[in-house]
Amino acid sequence: MAEAAIRIEEVRKIYSGGIEALAGVAIEVPRGSVFGLLGPNGAGKSTLVKILLTIIRPTECRGEMLGRPVGCKKVLRKVGYLPEHARFPEYLTGEQVIGYSAGLCGVSNHETRRRTAALIGRVGMAGWEKRRLGTYSKGMRQRIGIAQALVNEPELVFLDEPSDGVDPEGRIEIRRIIEELRGEGKTVFVNSHLLAEVEQVADRVAILAHGRLIEQGLMADLTGVGRSYEVRTEGPVPGGLRDRFKSQGFKVQGDLISVAGENPGPVQPVIDDLRRAGVTIREVREIRRSLEDLFLSAVRNNKGAK
Amino acid sequence: MRVFITILIDSLRLLRARALFWVTLALSALVAVLFLSIGFTPTGMSGLFGLLNWEQEMLRAGSPMAEAAYLWVFSTFVVGMWLSWVAVGLALISCASIFPDFLAEGSIGVSLSKPVRRLTIFLYKYIGSMMFVTLQVGVFALIVFLAIRWRLGVWNASVFWAVPVVALIFSYLYSVVVLVAVRTRSVLAAIFAAIVVWFVSWAGQKGEEVLYAVAQNEVAEVEGKTSWKQWHKMSVWAMAVLPKTGETADLLDRLIVAGGQRGIGQGAMIESMAGDEFGEAPEIDAAYERHTIGYIVGTSLAFEAVLLGLAAWIFCRKDY
Repeated sequence: MAEAAIRIEEVRKIYSGGIEALAGVAIEVPRGSVFGLLGPNGAGKSTLVKILLTIIRPTECRGEMLGRPVGCKKVLRKVGYLPEHARFPEYLTGEQVIGYSAGLCGVSNHETRRRTAALIGRVGMAGWEKRRLGTYSKGMRQRIGIAQALVNEPELVFLDEPSDGVDPEGRIEIRRIIEELRGEGKTVFVNSHLLAEVEQVADRVAILAHGRLIEQGLMADLTGVGRSYEVRTEGPVPGGLRDRFKSQGFKVQGDLISVAGENPGPVQPVIDDLRRAGVTIREVREIRRSLEDLFLSAVRNNKGAK
Repeated sequence: MRVFITILIDSLRLLRARALFWVTLALSALVAVLFLSIGFTPTGMSGLFGLLNWEQEMLRAGSPMAEAAYLWVFSTFVVGMWLSWVAVGLALISCASIFPDFLAEGSIGVSLSKPVRRLTIFLYKYIGSMMFVTLQVGVFALIVFLAIRWRLGVWNASVFWAVPVVALIFSYLYSVVVLVAVRTRSVLAAIFAAIVVWFVSWAGQKGEEVLYAVAQNEVAEVEGKTSWKQWHKMSVWAMAVLPKTGETADLLDRLIVAGGQRGIGQGAMIESMAGDEFGEAPEIDAAYERHTIGYIVGTSLAFEAVLLGLAAWIFCRKDY
């Protein structure tokens, strides 16, 4: 695995009153990747992010972020953060929100001006930067929130529910920004309950439930488990072929032939046989589990195990 | 320094955005202009730029008492009533929501996730809030400074003592607001707590004043003299832990320069009004100066430091 941007283990948080928000979570996030942290409401996602950003004090936490122990304030100079339900003061303009974050990160005035102009364009807010946040839509505030998270040119960016309240067009924009950040070699940590969103951008995912990590790995590996291939023909599969495929262990139903397997090798003879028999092939496709399937089965299994 | 300036600028923007800031500033300016409207004529004093006239030989233009009287009006009515009570009260109400707003979910995270220590953020935020009253009184003192030059023909920079003195009074009470706000995030609870402390402090000072007067006056006549002195001592000890808002405001009487010498004590004014020499009322002045500036400010700042320390401790240890 590539060098880790985050490597934590045994992260625990017990709130006063004995509520255990995190029960020994271990996560590894490679540098330059997009990492998706998933989980139902109350799973402990935001608590974990806040611990990494020193907003919440952990009961126990071992590990490093960008090569420094978790809790080290200096390392936050290289970290950007968009909080969930970000609430920036309405009396500020978009430009001033970005400037505030830059100031707290020690970015010089000159550099702040240069970066703000670039970021305003990047998040699609050109022409709005001098207006107060009170006049913005929720999606626009979210865009400004992303801009302020990037003003210190971070190596690691935490986006907590970045698509919250954003329209479909805005979501595509946010996805594009995340992909650009990965292209620049930055690590992006996305906290979201919108599985389809995460599925489209994340390289790795982890699923939290009831403060415990129940699944973690490369997106391709996790969704590739139980992979199969489907071949559809023009009209029902002829009787002789159907019997042969069934004897080889494939499922055949009408015009559909299902071939289980991690790789497409076993599908090739099926295609050859169909073409030799003069059957028209309408479609060949890989069937993977969606992130939603993965998420639901992991959460259900976890419930069953409890 | 960049962080300090950033938080300070943010505080300024916050103040500018608050309607109450402008209302208070406008009211302060109005009071300052009313003060400016007081003048001296060859026969006495005038008000509202000459609309009202009072004949008073002692206060005629150019008399030695004119300056003292003008400054006395400033310290007693303008500072003692307007700035010490109304302006501080409005400032408290106006600034009470600064910390609760800052601590709101979705807002605090941005600041705490930056490479700045929590204690630094807390202190800068506190100092930023103090700008409210500093700016208000600063503008006010400037108008008064110009008014004195216009009315009396002297540049009296000592009126600017009003700025730190009123800022001090505000800071004692604001520390209560901050502590309660950090603990509860409730604006109403913070204002209520500050009003309670303010009232208890004021009542305590008045009680101590009365006990002092009784103890002094009955020295030779009453048998229970020692007892009164003991009561007074106990009241001083009790008051030592509270902020001295009233006594801090009274410090202006000692700090403002009038007639070429520091201090426009109440005794001096009373004696002067009665026709005696300026500054010849030692027992009244002694009563006013029974506590040193170091004691008044020191014990009050100690109160403030304890509350702020507690608030900072909670702020630094809390999960958001």
